[in-house]
Amino acid sequence: MSLDPAGRLHRRLISVTIAALFAAAPLARADDAQRIDALEKKLEQTLRQVQQLSNELRELRSQKAAPAAAAVPAAPAAGAAQAEKIEHLQQQVDQLTAGLATRGNEDQGLPIHGFADVGWQANTNQQHLALAGSNNTGTRGFQIASLDFYLNPQLGDRVKTLAELIFEVNRDQGVVGTDLERLQMGYTVNNDLTVWLGRFHTPYGYWNTAFHHGAQIQTSIYRPQFLDFEDSGGILPAHTVGLWANGGTRVGPGKVTYDLYVGNGPKISGATATGANATASLDPNLRGNDTHSMESGANLGYEFRGALDGLKLGGHFLRRANVHDDLANFNRTDLNVLGAYGVYITDDWEVMTEFYNFHNVDKSGTTGSHASWAYYGQIGRPIGKFTPYARWERTRLDQADNYFAYLETGQSYMRSLAGLRYDLTPRVALKIELGHFNATDRQTYSSNEARTQFAIRF
Amino acid sequence: MTTSFRMSGRLIRAALTALALAASGAALADGAVICNSGLTIASGDVKDVYTGEKQMAGSTRIVPVDNSAAQADFLSKVLKMEAGKYQTAWTKKSFRDGLSAPAVKSSDAEVIEFVKKTPGAVGYVSSGTPAGVTVVERF
Repeated sequence: MSLDPAGRLHRRLISVTIAALFAAAPLARADDAQRIDALEKKLEQTLRQVQQLSNELRELRSQKAAPAAAAVPAAPAAGAAQAEKIEHLQQQVDQLTAGLATRGNEDQGLPIHGFADVGWQANTNQQHLALAGSNNTGTRGFQIASLDFYLNPQLGDRVKTLAELIFEVNRDQGVVGTDLERLQMGYTVNNDLTVWLGRFHTPYGYWNTAFHHGAQIQTSIYRPQFLDFEDSGGILPAHTVGLWANGGTRVGPGKVTYDLYVGNGPKISGATATGANATASLDPNLRGNDTHSMESGANLGYEFRGALDGLKLGGHFLRRANVHDDLANFNRTDLNVLGAYGVYITDDWEVMTEFYNFHNVDKSGTTGSHASWAYYGQIGRPIGKFTPYARWERTRLDQADNYFAYLETGQSYMRSLAGLRYDLTPRVALKIELGHFNATDRQTYSSNEARTQFAIRF
Repeated sequence: MTTSFRMSGRLIRAALTALALAASGAALADGAVICNSGLTIASGDVKDVYTGEKQMAGSTRIVPVDNSAAQADFLSKVLKMEAGKYQTAWTKKSFRDGLSAPAVKSSDAEVIEFVKKTPGAVGYVSSGTPAGVTVVERF
């Protein structure tokens, strides 16, 4: 047990007082006057000592009480100041957060996305240069290919729009042309169904809707030639103006996807001659249908999940009755296409194949029905930023079928190619490709091809 | 005696291991996917929401937002994708289906504020359990 200084002083004071009282007792037996004087002096001394000790005690007590008294009011003052500062900071953070969140909800304009590509190409056969198609722009050397913009404004919870405008170099005149590639307005009924009206990419097979003009998102430089665009010499209607329902729903571990569409079917424009002198191309009938027959089609696919994630298998058909050309005594052909596709796209592999079977029927002549087919297979192997790839394309198109006979690119061919893609960034790709082309029926020749492409997306 | 010491040693090691695992598990599960309190989505739907496969929940349009402060963790742990692949997947989705990629917020606080205020909003934060929103899953 220990006492504080004040306690010790208090004990000393009591001891001195008691000692003084005991000391006074023997003096009482001496001379009274002397003893009284002595006692008075001692008493005065004792009283002084007591007074001194009392003063010291008071002083010590006051000293002990003073810091405590000073500390008690100071603590709440400092805490209050700190709390006020924190509250002020919190207010600032809240205001900043609210401001940013509000800014996020404001209309900040419509973002424009798109693709662009430029490149260089060469081949070894002049005949091949004359062939139509975006695979072959008719020239050697450097070229600008296309600048493609698309917008997809969301107009409310269920209404969305997709508009795509492209600027590309016209193959024949070499001037820049503009095309409203897509203008489609959609209504999302639910997760499984969206209905579109307008001009859209015809949903046959896989490539046509997956990549279309997006050169940067496709591994190779160009599409397979038989899937080329109508104005570049394609043999299928790559675009349709009409009504399109698409969606998908979970079935088992994967997802069933579907597309159903009806629209204006294509006609054959610019028909003058058949065979090697054919000059016609498909016209998608943007302004309206030219016959009472609508184009219709469906595409049904299954996307696997789990161990087979990345695999999609599907089948499709497209039909358009009475596709006619623009000759005086025009030919009419029922176009019937049945196809299948399989793609396997993962971080490590890209494998794609599509097969198209044509069963066209001559409705104006007496040539009957004609069977033709086309397919391609492409394989790529991403290794870091590099993707080596190879593709094989082949068509066998019946030249007695008016539908193919009048089309400039209606001849059968084989093409094999190998390429290397390098992704400078996720949005920029550089591609180099070497190929070999064989025309196999209307004309027979071969050509070696070399191409490069610098493709971006934004 | 020796056996009992060994047993105690094993028990202590096991306990320490369990504590370490619990601590690392807690560290791994700091982030959270959150949604507006008026929205009901399952944790199994998160990938579909962030890849544009699921756009509606009943009659409510789902509005996913990205959080640049936590995106790397979210992509690797929940979607199991690299950022470049995620961007490319949205480019393809946007180009084909007319969907817009999720808007990008810059902080947890901004995401929480947006998710609280926006019907159908889904977001993710790097840590904590925000009040006023529904936690769909932790990552």
